[in-house]
Amino acid sequence: MKPESIVPVTLRVNGIEYSLAVGQGRNLLGAIRNEVGLTGTKEGCDDCECGACMVLLDGQPVNSCSYLAVQAEGREITTVEGLAHGRDLSPIQAAILEAGGVQCGFCTPGMLMSATALLDRNPTPSREEIKVGLGGNLCRCTGYGRILDAVEQVVSIG
Amino acid sequence: MSFTIATTIDEAVAALAAGARPIAGGSDLVVGARHGKVPLPDDMVAIDRIPELSTIDRAADETAIGAAVNHARLMTDPRIVEEFTAVADAAALVGSPATRNVGTIGGNVMNASPAMDTGAPLVVLGASAVLRSSAGERRLPVEELWAGPGATTATPDELCVALAVPNAAGRHGSAYVRLEYRRAMEIAVVGAAASVTLAADGTVAAARVALAAVAPTIIEVTGLGELLEGQTLNEATLDAVAEAASARSQPISDLRASDHYRRHTVGVMARRAVEAAGRRATGEQIAVPVNRALGIGAA
Amino acid sequence: MTPPEGAITAHHVDPVTLPRFDRADGLDKVTGSGRYTADLTLSGMLHAAFVYSEHSHARIRSLDTTLAEQMPGVMAVITAADVPDVRYTDGAADRRLFAKDTVRYDGDVIAAVAATTLDQARAAAAAVEVEYEVQPAVTDLEAALEPDSPLVHPEWAEYAAMDGVVRERNIASFSSIAKGDATAAMDDADVVISGRYVADASHATPIEPRAVVAQWEGDKVTIWSSTQVPFRARTGVCETLQLPTNKVRIIVPHLGGGFGGKCGFHYEAHVAALAQAAGRPVKLVFTRREEFLAPDRRREGMIVELTTGLRADGTILARAGRVLLDGGAYMADGEFFPQMAAMHVAGPYKMDHCSIESTLVYTNRQPSGSVRAPTAPQGCWAVETHTDELAAASGMDPVAFRKLNAVDEGDEGCVGQVYNRIGLQTCIDEAVAAVGAPDELPHDEAIGVAIGWWPSFPGASGAVVRLDEDGQGQIVTGAQENGTGSVMTLRQLAADELGLTPQDFQIVYQDTAAAPWDAGSSGSQTLINNGRAVVAAAGRVADQLKDLAAAELEASPDDIVLADGSAHVAGTPARSVRIAELAAIAGGGALLVASGSEDPPEYPEVEANCIGDMGVAGWAGPQFSCHAAHVRVDPDTGVARVLKVGAAHDSGTIINPLPALGQIEGGIMMGIGQALTEVTHYDERGNQRNPGLLEYKLQTSADVPDVQVVFVEPGADGVGPRGAKGLAEAPNVTTAAAINNAITAVIGTPVRQLPMSAERVWATANGIDMRDGK
Repeated sequence: MKPESIVPVTLRVNGIEYSLAVGQGRNLLGAIRNEVGLTGTKEGCDDCECGACMVLLDGQPVNSCSYLAVQAEGREITTVEGLAHGRDLSPIQAAILEAGGVQCGFCTPGMLMSATALLDRNPTPSREEIKVGLGGNLCRCTGYGRILDAVEQVVSIG
Repeated sequence: MSFTIATTIDEAVAALAAGARPIAGGSDLVVGARHGKVPLPDDMVAIDRIPELSTIDRAADETAIGAAVNHARLMTDPRIVEEFTAVADAAALVGSPATRNVGTIGGNVMNASPAMDTGAPLVVLGASAVLRSSAGERRLPVEELWAGPGATTATPDELCVALAVPNAAGRHGSAYVRLEYRRAMEIAVVGAAASVTLAADGTVAAARVALAAVAPTIIEVTGLGELLEGQTLNEATLDAVAEAASARSQPISDLRASDHYRRHTVGVMARRAVEAAGRRATGEQIAVPVNRALGIGAA
Repeated sequence: MTPPEGAITAHHVDPVTLPRFDRADGLDKVTGSGRYTADLTLSGMLHAAFVYSEHSHARIRSLDTTLAEQMPGVMAVITAADVPDVRYTDGAADRRLFAKDTVRYDGDVIAAVAATTLDQARAAAAAVEVEYEVQPAVTDLEAALEPDSPLVHPEWAEYAAMDGVVRERNIASFSSIAKGDATAAMDDADVVISGRYVADASHATPIEPRAVVAQWEGDKVTIWSSTQVPFRARTGVCETLQLPTNKVRIIVPHLGGGFGGKCGFHYEAHVAALAQAAGRPVKLVFTRREEFLAPDRRREGMIVELTTGLRADGTILARAGRVLLDGGAYMADGEFFPQMAAMHVAGPYKMDHCSIESTLVYTNRQPSGSVRAPTAPQGCWAVETHTDELAAASGMDPVAFRKLNAVDEGDEGCVGQVYNRIGLQTCIDEAVAAVGAPDELPHDEAIGVAIGWWPSFPGASGAVVRLDEDGQGQIVTGAQENGTGSVMTLRQLAADELGLTPQDFQIVYQDTAAAPWDAGSSGSQTLINNGRAVVAAAGRVADQLKDLAAAELEASPDDIVLADGSAHVAGTPARSVRIAELAAIAGGGALLVASGSEDPPEYPEVEANCIGDMGVAGWAGPQFSCHAAHVRVDPDTGVARVLKVGAAHDSGTIINPLPALGQIEGGIMMGIGQALTEVTHYDERGNQRNPGLLEYKLQTSADVPDVQVVFVEPGADGVGPRGAKGLAEAPNVTTAAAINNAITAVIGTPVRQLPMSAERVWATANGIDMRDGK
């Protein structure tokens, strides 16, 4: 096994800077979970196919399993731990609980990041736009209905 | 081993000359490495922070789409949607919002997958890849760039900086449709792009069709000129398009479909692409992507 | 929502109006603080990697770990030689932790490595040297039963197996159900229709890949595992590592879904043995690829042949059938699959004569095991496709045909069980109403209808309820919360017994050292069985409170009412004392604590003349459903899209409607996947070809149809608290069948393979023979 080159990288996660040394080929997901120590972001496929690892990078959704940690240098990373303000849940966090959109909860962090990004770029999405907007986040429990309703609830509250 | 972040094309090209590989969003590279296809390169240069690569510049006769323009922008940029609609159709079908955010048109083109969605649209629109190296710049029609699955004729020190697409003129429309089994996170089972220009009398003045996922590279359906020029688009001519596309295809059987089924459905997709492109050429507004607007595939 | 005695009610669900459901684990799950097994890190923890078989069937000629042991960071490499030589599993002892002489599928584990980093562990696993002598692979279910077939387990006859398992050669388990004389009755039938239906294998696919962490403290081991069945996992560890139950503690952190895929004993012992060998805690986290390949929980492929004889009036006279199930390389918990499959292909219909023979076949593929309603979606799809053919042959509307033949209160079904008040007939009416059939549909759209059933599973279960000195409660239960909300609902049951609110309770759950036994989140059993235990325990605490209140209020305990956080004397609410005050008194004395573990309700006896009776013919608390699916088919490509589903369910009394709705909606979406896009492909030697989420296609949010759910509550025949039946599996039974009947209505011919992929629909519509069809 070839020794991996360890490089310094500064990651800004939920407003806090972390100076890390990571393998050049290390993915952002691994850096967030193992180096920064925030485990809310999940690994479901390691393949860009399930969305459980989704974070926001400068406000845009990214599957962190398939993004190099070193590429995130200097960008603003938001994870599920960064959604609430203190003890106040963000509107979509509150709505997904209220609407019954949480079951096993494993897809929930990624789903919340996708929904947050969707509502940021389009505060009044139609049902169809919500369905497409969350299309990269697989959920096996809910059949999606209560999650789609949760996003609609946020839209209707405005 | 090294990782550098370039902020200008010159920096990136210099890094390539020194043996580095470019990385934009990186998803193909990172996923591919994990699947053991190709290990991650030892030396990488990030090209996602080069402003010149993220512009869409319309000149008098052509538009240069920067290589680092992502799918999210391709599907919504008014100039792309208006003039190069097939590219927008294709970009809108890629993966999910996250993959559309990370994936770039340059990355697509240089990754050279025969199933890529943006490839067939670029062929029918007559696009060229603009390749830059320390030796200078050259242009290559995209169909000459692709050499096989995952292989291009570009040299390792060449950076794709843009896709140059001739501006549309007259009554022109284009469309990309694909066969898909679900409505998100899907990859083309087969796909077809069409570009149609109509004469004043409503007959076809020019038409091109290209096919995805039915050969080792994106391929163009040849001989369409004789088939369509001077004709109106009707059941008979569209049937002929389907037949020509099926005949041109050389599909394989794999997990997603048998060769038999691919040969049939690529004809169906070609027919629908030409029909949609023809309707767009008349000025009809069909929303992007055509798959959803017209109920194609799993729409 | 308890319906009045004697009335069957139907409630068309409007999600907006449902009472809010406060999940005790909700805040933890939406803020990211919730820990799943893969999120755990212990000091000094090592990482595990497995060495899997490279062949679906081979003898191991030699196994050399020398090189691997010398790799950097490696702390332990273990093989069959390092653990007790024990064969285990549920239905038959046919498997070892590590393959010893023979590998029988492509996910058989040969060795395990622990190293300081995951990369090191994987590199060392790759350096383990194995020489194989490849054996012929058994992959064809029918050929496997021929006398000249190679055998998956040549010593099968010598293995220990569960009582009553009928087995020989590649037959892992055989069952039949027989009523009357089906063969003779066919001669008397006015119409006889036969059909063959083939279902491919699929997967449970929870979004969380499994993970296990093990840590030894002296001679005791604590194992954190993503298991649905912690007590079953403990049994497996005890059996294979030869430990007493009180030295093995299984704790489940949050579980990221299971759907049966995480039932059974999986890898807890491998990791415990590694941790012991390395002298350090060890963590194993599966990749998605491993999650597809390795566990002995796959939804079984199935071949179903059915012949049904009808009378001229369209009533079913007799049914005969043969079922072959792909059991894969090991039995896992598949011993009851043949009998369960027989029940499903017989279906919830009245018939005087029924004869089904059903066989679980050993093959060199991944073992099959209980995935959400095992055998039912495939069986239902086969019999309900067949039923539309029967309706057509008798010139009847498919809905009318089902109404005529489906069982109702007082009717006798396929194994002679006479049903109590059940809601099946109501389900049919309500599902059809819910899908809202317009008079005329476009030529490429149709509505298909199917009915299905599934039992409830009464069984042992225990819980402890206590109120501490401030009147706040703890429920301590061995039950497992896989996401359904059934453990979360226990708060509501305890609160109602004690005059408190659900928010007054916390739950300690899924820890085998803390709580009494429970079967885990399998068989839709949590709420009916652990609910019974919690109600009983809380009832005892209520009695303790009433005694205390009676002393305080100078009244008889029989006259004390617990409500709104207080105890008062019946009829005089002013004579009251806060429960918190009583709890403070008890806190200095006898404490408020009680356990519940009442005997479960009994199963009905049936005269099914079953061979290989595994106890799943007589159903307690049978659940019924009807789904109506509105589907559009692209005739040029065969791509089908589900536009709307009406789903009516009799799962008894619905205690908590919002999570119940979530179960049904989730089941429907899984059913759509099974119907259209989910399939596991194999090569000719039995190796999986698509162990990943790009080529194994789950449905996405973009594919969601409109769904209208109807709760049908018969107010009788429940086996859980308040007349509840099970719920979580039933919604997964019926959807695929309804979709095929809609597709058939559009293209004119039923698709006889599941999933009904676009290519298969297109080929069926065009009469194309598809040997290589996807």
